[in-house]
Amino acid sequence: MDWLSTLINGLLLGGLYALFGLGLALVFGVMRVVNLAHGEFIVLGAYAGFFLVGWFSTVPVWAMLIPVVLIGYAFGWLLQATLLNRAVRTGNVLTPLMLTFGLSVLLRNGMVELFGADSRAVDAGALGSASMDLLGLSVGVYPVLMLLLALALFASLQWVLRHTEFGRTVRATADFPDVVRLMGVKPERVFCQVMGLAAAFAMGAGYLLAQRTLFTPFSGVERMLVAFEVVIIGGLGSFWGAVAGGLVLGVAQLFGQRLDSNAGSLYAHLLFLVTLMVRPKGLAGGRA
Amino acid sequence: MPLLEVDRVDVFYGDFQAISGVSLSLSAGEVLALIGANGAGKTTLLRAVTGLLAPRAGRIRFDGDDVTGLPAEALARRGVAMVPEGRMLFPSLTVEENLQMGTLTRRRGPWTLDAVYAVFPVLRDLRQRNAMQLSGGQQQMVAIGRALLGNPRLLICDELSLGLAPLVVEEIYRTFERIRGSDLSIVLVEQDVARACAVSDQVTCLLKGRVMLQGASQGITLPQVTAAYFGE
Repeated sequence: MDWLSTLINGLLLGGLYALFGLGLALVFGVMRVVNLAHGEFIVLGAYAGFFLVGWFSTVPVWAMLIPVVLIGYAFGWLLQATLLNRAVRTGNVLTPLMLTFGLSVLLRNGMVELFGADSRAVDAGALGSASMDLLGLSVGVYPVLMLLLALALFASLQWVLRHTEFGRTVRATADFPDVVRLMGVKPERVFCQVMGLAAAFAMGAGYLLAQRTLFTPFSGVERMLVAFEVVIIGGLGSFWGAVAGGLVLGVAQLFGQRLDSNAGSLYAHLLFLVTLMVRPKGLAGGRA
Repeated sequence: MPLLEVDRVDVFYGDFQAISGVSLSLSAGEVLALIGANGAGKTTLLRAVTGLLAPRAGRIRFDGDDVTGLPAEALARRGVAMVPEGRMLFPSLTVEENLQMGTLTRRRGPWTLDAVYAVFPVLRDLRQRNAMQLSGGQQQMVAIGRALLGNPRLLICDELSLGLAPLVVEEIYRTFERIRGSDLSIVLVEQDVARACAVSDQVTCLLKGRVMLQGASQGITLPQVTAAYFGE
């Protein structure tokens, strides 16, 4: 029975990991830009939530997800409008890569300067420690809610991309940014909206994770590694692949820690390596 | 007043001058055929007219306004639509979604999804298909329909017959006559010179980025075209 509970907890953690990967996959899919600052976005979300919770102690902790996500959207949008669009416009794939790398260094050190290097966590309060009965096992209510939230976010993003005019425009822009201009669409504007969404997902997920584990300004590196592994295990550009990638990674990590309590996320990384060898195009692979 | 006026335009790719001092003028409802050998600068000129490339010298006026250097998305909203060479349908979108992309110009007019399906009935049955699963001719219909759904005033068609079987080309050009409404002006690039002259009101022939021949389609003779086309 203990193994079953490890499995369930792994799935719950994996839901969050999937959210990490989502923003990265979205930005890569639409702009062909690998955002190396994605991990720092995640940590920024944790800090934004941490301070908001501190300032507005009467607001429930879960409700703070909403302002964090909105701040994330604004942050991503502005970053794209002011900096990244210039780099994308050069047409050289290395320029945005270098820019986001520089940005990640700047953000990391900026956070150390502003917030200090101490480990912090967001206290989820009573809801954070509440547990419920699932198949005879005691499972945390909060992780279950997080997994459900992650799945709901995935499903709604998928729905928006499939069935709305905005979604059509995003997919068409990903195909041919020059051709959508002939239809009156400014690709840079679409890029701003996509980066806004990606940052919103990243910061939201970062805030949620901050309620489970400690974070420092340097946590972004580890978070981004997870995001990369999720996207690559899932198969580049596949959203449901990213969900599967996140869940698999979460389960592998917790099983690994059960087998060897010093392992950390070693087993998740090993699983990633095996996936690369067995299915180089990822679980949903095929379309490369 | 002409709808489109191109006035002594120079266009460069980096240091390479692709278009030198090209002028042309097109009234509402007129069809202009642009002919010339490969590399003569036809597509470059079209890219300048649609705003995808900015001219380095000269002016472009559309509907009386100076639009030189305006980006393509702004020109699209003013009513310049293009059927690009190679069709350039969006592979991630279905047929109907490709068509719907045209409506993003937010222009009102006679062209709706139903109007496009009336001209190309075969597309109605294929509307849920992925655009890449269609035959070349059907894809060309989608590309034309997508441009029309923007309710343009100027429709630019770059090599409609490229890679299509002769019978399919016939079919496309038959619908072309139905598309030519009262007010729609068309600029057409066509390799088949005889066809180009037959469907157009005026002809412009480019050679190495310069205008070699320009005039009413009716008055142009084959020897004139041959001389302009090959630069003899």
